[in-house]
Amino acid sequence: MAALSTPEVSTGELVLSLRGIDKNFGAVQALTGIDLDIYSGEVVALVGDNGAGKSTLVKILAGVHPQDGGTITSDDKRVSINNPADSNNLGIATVYQDLALCDNLDVVANLFLGHELGRGTINEVEMEKRSWSLLRQLSARIPSVRIPVASLSGGQRQTVAIARSLIGEPRIVILDEPTAALGVAQTAEVLNLIERLRERGLGVVLISHNMADVQAVADRIVVLRLGRNNGEFKVADVTYEDIIAAITGASDNAVTRRAQARVDAAGAPAATAGSRPDDTALPEEDRP
Amino acid sequence: MANSSRFRHAAVLGTIVCAVSSRRNPGSQSSLREANRARILDAIASYGALTQVELAGVTGLSPATVSNIVKEQAAAGVLQTTPTSRSGRRAVRVTLAREMGLVVGLHVSNRQLRLALADAGHQVLAERMLPLARDHRADSELDRVMLLIQDMAESVGASVSEVLAVGIGLAAPVDPRTGIIATPGLMRGWDGVPVADELEARLHRPVFVDNEANLGALAESRLGAARGIGQAAYLRVSHGVGAGLIVDGRVYRGGNGKAGEIGHLTLDEQGLVCRCGNRGCLETLVGASALAAKFPGSHGDVKLRDILLRADAGDALARRVIADAGRHLGIALAGLSNLVDPHRIVVGGELAEAGEMLLSPLRHALERSTLATPAGVPEVVKGELGERAEVLGAVLFAIDRAQIVARRTEEGILPARPAPAPDILPGIAGLRARTAAETPAENSPERGGLAS
Repeated sequence: MAALSTPEVSTGELVLSLRGIDKNFGAVQALTGIDLDIYSGEVVALVGDNGAGKSTLVKILAGVHPQDGGTITSDDKRVSINNPADSNNLGIATVYQDLALCDNLDVVANLFLGHELGRGTINEVEMEKRSWSLLRQLSARIPSVRIPVASLSGGQRQTVAIARSLIGEPRIVILDEPTAALGVAQTAEVLNLIERLRERGLGVVLISHNMADVQAVADRIVVLRLGRNNGEFKVADVTYEDIIAAITGASDNAVTRRAQARVDAAGAPAATAGSRPDDTALPEEDRP
Repeated sequence: MANSSRFRHAAVLGTIVCAVSSRRNPGSQSSLREANRARILDAIASYGALTQVELAGVTGLSPATVSNIVKEQAAAGVLQTTPTSRSGRRAVRVTLAREMGLVVGLHVSNRQLRLALADAGHQVLAERMLPLARDHRADSELDRVMLLIQDMAESVGASVSEVLAVGIGLAAPVDPRTGIIATPGLMRGWDGVPVADELEARLHRPVFVDNEANLGALAESRLGAARGIGQAAYLRVSHGVGAGLIVDGRVYRGGNGKAGEIGHLTLDEQGLVCRCGNRGCLETLVGASALAAKFPGSHGDVKLRDILLRADAGDALARRVIADAGRHLGIALAGLSNLVDPHRIVVGGELAEAGEMLLSPLRHALERSTLATPAGVPEVVKGELGERAEVLGAVLFAIDRAQIVARRTEEGILPARPAPAPDILPGIAGLRARTAAETPAENSPERGGLAS
């Protein structure tokens, strides 16, 4: 009866892995050697300036454009995403910035658009029941499922769009700028919803410009800059300033590169030297 | 649409008949009506305000039934109706009738913010929750709080000017004389900020600040698991650990507001450095980040909720981590119990959701380490209000303070002064030294009138 099965708590498994993804549109190199891992039960935020390639990467995952180079692995099998159906079969659901809802249809019709239940005649009662159960599981605040989507608030429409993406029981949900056009109250609703998705064990890819939102719900932040990876951070040990520096490229200049080169050169022998005292210290600790 | 809703109505009736209490003749017209009434009130309580048409959708009752019940309850003073429009059509907006103005409770913890809008009769009309970034900052969060309060007030058809007072609970000890965080380092983005003045400057309503565990203790002692118990303690185990003390039925705050900061009791003098700057605090053993560090192999951020979910699913490591946390808490509580001697200890906060998994090792450690009395050791129970305890406490705190204002201005103990003119520079207003007990003096006369 439930539109979604009860969540199996299998978090932290690598669901989808992208390696060295390239994409060019004519002479424009949009993506160069992008790596991205998506784990179940984890929110990974994809951030970057305008034109950094976030949307292009999402479109590759959604099957809008096939990539020009690089590999995509799902469950240790190499896969290719050539069209939206492939993306769907891999369990990827995408919620676009413009939501792509039909304003004149009600919530139920929007949720089941293209997947209507019933043979011959549409089983409205069952669809409505499932809609309520789905929205309730997401703790959504929608007053009625029989009103046209046009009369809902921005946050409620986003909720409907996200709920619709869950109808096919995906493993990965990609949210493209879900809070960009929303007020504070609606943003709160969407952020709570993202936490629900994470608890269900879904891999969530969140694209956002709002660092407060990103730091509130994400586990990991992947920064893109000018079509390349420019850093990956764990939210637990990164500051706002570090992320902004990575997005704008403030941390990437001749001075920092030279400093990094020095650290790398010094780091290799230091690491081996540093491990030796530990090895000798261990038996000492064991002695008493 | 009408047909389908009538169909649903019939189906709903069928289920309600079985569910109705046995007070009245089950299956009778009156018991049905009572159940339908409860459905409508529940729906309005959870959505704030709804039109009659939306009510019919949510409850599955027919529009005629909804209309009748709303009319009857509006006459009885339970509901309130206002004309409005939906999609260009005339509609009736239904809200709960409010008593004597509104109060707002706000709970700002380390990773989350909770807001509740309630009336002076303790009835919560709207609630909001917002996840927060690590080390969130006071200025941006207070801006968001202001917008959220406006939105909540609008959602129940009221305005911010009807708010009598705002109560805030912060995840750090708050000096009751100044309303500023007493110990720097625990909420880095809020240190040294006169939170009450800052929010007052945004809302133009009186604001009162206290520690979250104190407010949790207040709520549990008035509405929850410590009701009617004069000597009690409330332990909040969440991102950090704190306690609120109820002494002779009142919250005990101590000299600088640090009373009950059990999270920073030293358990291991050689332990890890805590965010407070000391070493080996209880929090370095049972705080959220300490617990997360016990899951080294797992990918991504391990949140408290993840540990609870894993423990629920039978993960042995998660259960052991929670049990160990219970043991450490029990030892610290034994110290607390020897000092303030409560009759009952209420455990709240996110980790308390683990229930007996946490509480039975906790009780065991407490029994082992506390002084025995003929009455036995303090009783340890799980909080009844769950994660809402602090925000409800903030509501109660705001009501208490607002009422003190009203009473004092009425009795002439404090002269009713007009509100400060809006052209006073916010900087100067922010510099005013505040005393929690004296703040009410700055209240305008019309506020006293509203609450009386």
